[in-house]
Amino acid sequence: MGKFVVIGERIHCISPAIREAMNTMNPEPILKRAKEQLEAGATYLDVNIGPAESNGVELMTWAVQTIQGAFDNVPLALDTANMAAIEAGIGVYNRSKGKPIVNSADAGDRIGYLDLAANNDAICIALCSKAGVPADNDERMTYLQELLERGLELGMDPEDIWFDPLFLVIKGMQDKQMDVLNFIRDISEQGLNSTGGLSNNSNGMPKHIRPIMDSAMVAMAMMAGLTSAIVNPCDLRLMETVKSCDIIKNNFLYADSYLEV
Amino acid sequence: MPFTDKPQVFSASINALSFGPAGKEVTLGGSNVYPLYSFDAPLANPVRVGIQVSDKGFDATVPGLAAFYEGCSTVAEMAARAAAAPGVDFVALSLNSADPNEDNASVDDCAATALAVAQAIDKPLAIMGCKNVEKDSELFVKIADVLRGQNALFLSCREEDYKTIGASVVLAGGSSLGGESAVDINLAKQLNVLLSQLGVPTGKIVMNLGTAAAGYGFEYLASTIDRVKDAALKQNDGMLQMPVVTPCGDDAWGVKEAILEEADMPEWGSREERGIQMEIITAAACIASGSDAVILRHPESVKTISEYVSALM
Repeated sequence: MGKFVVIGERIHCISPAIREAMNTMNPEPILKRAKEQLEAGATYLDVNIGPAESNGVELMTWAVQTIQGAFDNVPLALDTANMAAIEAGIGVYNRSKGKPIVNSADAGDRIGYLDLAANNDAICIALCSKAGVPADNDERMTYLQELLERGLELGMDPEDIWFDPLFLVIKGMQDKQMDVLNFIRDISEQGLNSTGGLSNNSNGMPKHIRPIMDSAMVAMAMMAGLTSAIVNPCDLRLMETVKSCDIIKNNFLYADSYLEV
Repeated sequence: MPFTDKPQVFSASINALSFGPAGKEVTLGGSNVYPLYSFDAPLANPVRVGIQVSDKGFDATVPGLAAFYEGCSTVAEMAARAAAAPGVDFVALSLNSADPNEDNASVDDCAATALAVAQAIDKPLAIMGCKNVEKDSELFVKIADVLRGQNALFLSCREEDYKTIGASVVLAGGSSLGGESAVDINLAKQLNVLLSQLGVPTGKIVMNLGTAAAGYGFEYLASTIDRVKDAALKQNDGMLQMPVVTPCGDDAWGVKEAILEEADMPEWGSREERGIQMEIITAAACIASGSDAVILRHPESVKTISEYVSALM
C-alpha cells in the first residue's frame, strides 16, 4: 500500500481571502495557502472555485497554471460545479507528479463527472450518495456499485475511482459514525480507494476540540482502510496522526525523523 | 481475453548521481523500474563496477594479484594499473593504513596518497576510509579539501560522524557522500534525513547499506536492498531514492572459502579461484537485489561482473 493521500482543502472560494483572490485573479493569497499546505505535508491540493458559472473556464485554467507553475507541477483536485471549467483545467494540467482528480461525481445528478474523468484519464472522487445522505450502508453500497459499473464501462481503472463514504457530523448524527467506518471497510475489502471530507465529523465543535476529534477519526478510518482524505494539512495534530498511522500500516518506512519528512 | 502487457514503470525513480572529474564522470542509478527490469523500461544506467585498491598494497599471497600489480612500487602506480583493467568504471582507494589500531598512518600522508592516486588515474575516484569512525572523520575532512574539484565519492559517513563529514565533503568540498548503515533499513533512511536536514542535496548522496558475503547472512542484506528499492519506487520515498553502492571485496575475501590455502584444504582447489568465485557470486547477488554499483578487489572478478552487467542491459 502507498502512503495515505492528503488532499489539502484550503484553496476554497468559501474563504473570503481566496474568493477575493479568485475574483481579481490575484495569485498571491492562493500561492501562500498552497505553500503552507505543501510544507505541512499535503500531497494533492484541492482547488475549489465554487459554481463559477460565468468565468469558470478562464478561472480554472489560470488557477491550474498558477499553482502548478509555482510548485513543481503539484497534483491538483479540480473542484467546481462547472464541468467545462474542470475540462479546461485538465487541458492545461501537467501530469508529471500525478493525475488530476475530478471532484466530484455522485450516483445522481453529478454522475456525468465520471464520464468527464474517464474521457480525460483523470481520477474521480465518487460520492456514494444520490440525493442527500444515504439512509444506511446498503444504500451506500448500491450507489457504489452503480458508480463502479459505470466507471468500468467507460474504461476506467477501478483504482482511479476514489469512493467517498460521506463523513457525517457527530453533533447531530453521532449514531451514524460507525456506519461510515464500516462502509470504509467495505470499500477497502473490495480493493478500492476511498477519500472524503473527513473533518465534517467535527463540524460545529469548539475550535480546540476539532483537531482532537479529526485525529481520532482519521486513525479509526485508516484502520478501516481509508486511503485518502480531503483535510486541512495545517492541522499539526492531524498530520502527525496520519504520518504515525502510515508507519503502523507499513505504508511508509520508519525513520526516527519520520514526522519531519 | 487478449493479454495486455502492463510494464511496471514507476513515476518515481532512483536518483542519478554522477561523480568523477569533469569529462570523466560516471553516473549511478537513474532508473524508474525494479533492478534489472529492462523489459519494463530501458535502464537509465548500467550497474557500475569499481576496483578496490588499498594503500597497504595488494595481497601478495594471491598469485594473480601479484602478477597483475607486478612492477608497481607506489599506491598511485597500482591505482593507475587497476584503473586501466578491463571493465573498471571507477577506482576505490581504501586507506587501511590509517587505522589507529594498526599502522596509524597520518592524515597528511593519506591525503598525499589520495591526491597522487587522483592524479594518476583517468577514472572517477571513490575514497574508502579505515573503518575507524574518528579517524575517518579527520581523513575525509582533509582529503575532501585536497581533492576539491575532483568530485570524488566518499564512502562512508555514519550516524556518529555525518555532521562533520557531510559539511566538509559535500557542503565545503563539493564531493558526493555515502551514508553507511549496517543492514539497518530504518537507520539508512534516518541518515539520509539527517544529511538532508544538514543541507546536503539528496542528489549528492549514495547509500552503503552494508555488506555480507554470499552465504554469510547475505539474505539480510538482500532483503534490505529489496525493501529500500520497493519504498523508493512504489512508495516514492524521497529519502530512499539514493543509488546503492556495495563494497563486496572485503567481505568476499574475508570468509574461509577465500582464506584457507590449498595446502590446508586440497579438495577445495585453488584459493585464488575460490576467492574470485566468492567475489563474483556476492556481487552478482547484490546486483540482482538492487546495488547500483559494486566494489571488487580482483581484476578477474571486475571483468566477469562487468561482462555480466553488459549482458543484462
